[in-house]
Amino acid sequence: MNSLLEATRGALEMLLSGDPELWTIIGISFKVSTTAILVATPPALLTAFLLAYLRFPGRRVLISLFSTFLSVPAVVVGLTLYLLLSSRGPLGDWRLLFTQTAMVMGQVVLAFPILVAMGHAALQALDRRAWETARTLGAGPLRAFFTLVRESRFGLLAALLAAYGRIIAEVGSSMMLGGNILHYTRNIPTAIALETSKGEFAQGIALGAILLILAFTLNGLLHYFQGKGVAVP
Amino acid sequence: MNITSNLLSVRGLRKRHGSRELLRGLDFDLSAHDCVLLTGENGAGKSTLLRILAGLERPDAGAFSLQGAPARPWRKARKALGRSVLYLHQQPWMFDGSVAYNLGYALRGSRKSRRARINEALAWIEMEAFAETPARTLSGGERQRIALARAWLRQPAVMLLDEPTANLDREARQRTLALLHRLHQEGMTLVIASHDPDHFGGLIRRHLHLDQGRLDEQPVPGGPPVRLVGSEPA
Repeated sequence: MNSLLEATRGALEMLLSGDPELWTIIGISFKVSTTAILVATPPALLTAFLLAYLRFPGRRVLISLFSTFLSVPAVVVGLTLYLLLSSRGPLGDWRLLFTQTAMVMGQVVLAFPILVAMGHAALQALDRRAWETARTLGAGPLRAFFTLVRESRFGLLAALLAAYGRIIAEVGSSMMLGGNILHYTRNIPTAIALETSKGEFAQGIALGAILLILAFTLNGLLHYFQGKGVAVP
Repeated sequence: MNITSNLLSVRGLRKRHGSRELLRGLDFDLSAHDCVLLTGENGAGKSTLLRILAGLERPDAGAFSLQGAPARPWRKARKALGRSVLYLHQQPWMFDGSVAYNLGYALRGSRKSRRARINEALAWIEMEAFAETPARTLSGGERQRIALARAWLRQPAVMLLDEPTANLDREARQRTLALLHRLHQEGMTLVIASHDPDHFGGLIRRHLHLDQGRLDEQPVPGGPPVRLVGSEPA
């Protein structure tokens, strides 16, 4: 009990004193995950739209596939990309293993199915009259698409927040693809895993607190936006 | 195929829903300033026909000619149909935003010119005080008027209205009818699908009836002579 209290006190001191190592780790986490979301969102939204609005053979199979990918463990994504990016893998020449780019790639793969599945649900729930009204009022396909994004923005934002919450907290893919290199690829979850394995709980608790605050904020926003996104006839 | 110069001409229009042939090779013409009532039982295919004409739903076959242009299959005529023909849903969709946002959706140009057109449209439907009201909080009748004003601002060649007075109370219906009269007086070509022909007395110049996939033109007192309308023989 005493050691837990000491570790918590140590964690607070680290957070409040602006410990440079700690805040570098936090910065890397946000940089990698924000980049991954920015890369994944446009193609994921387009895929969600095509699945919601186009009828083509294999559409249902694709929807099921994306739903299945929601539950793929991060470590499996990490392992697959590791094999592709390792020096003996087909993409070994790119020399991306143990870089932030590799971590971004892993997180894009993890975020993509969440964005597609939840984005598809949000767009599917939108009344078809929205698309038809936009088109009959002279909007081209691109403008009509952005109109739909605007109309279902609360559902889409919920998808964005859920995906962000998942990737910023994942450890398996970041550990395998980033290598947990201090000041370069060490992010919040990999740092927690490392410090805990060394018995250094203060930094782990401090980083855990950041993740908890983030999770709380994201969930609060999620509930707020889901509450706002009520379909109106 | 050569089709005489009408505002809109359709030949051999077919549409199947599953095993049911909804439209069986329809032929018909619309002239400028026509005001056509389209009747038919529930599920007869009125809405499908209107949606095809507006470029929103793909037919199985058919040739379309707009303003005397050569007849083309739907896939090639779709863009031109979308530009010239506007479809109004039975329950108009209001975008999430103010009345002004909804009215301005189809407008181009500077902010100032768009604002002027929006004010013009609000005056046209006598709803000047509603510019900043969230459109989705309005009643069915008010939404119908906003939808008509939004369509009026776009100035299509043909306006297709799907049951425009359904589910409206007496006053809202009267207001909607008054706007339809004004649209027609301003030269707009209207096609109105409805179950209640009596509502549109004095406005209608032609009456088309859709039954079992076939189109039949019925005479209208005081209207022009019955024109070419046909379907594939039974």
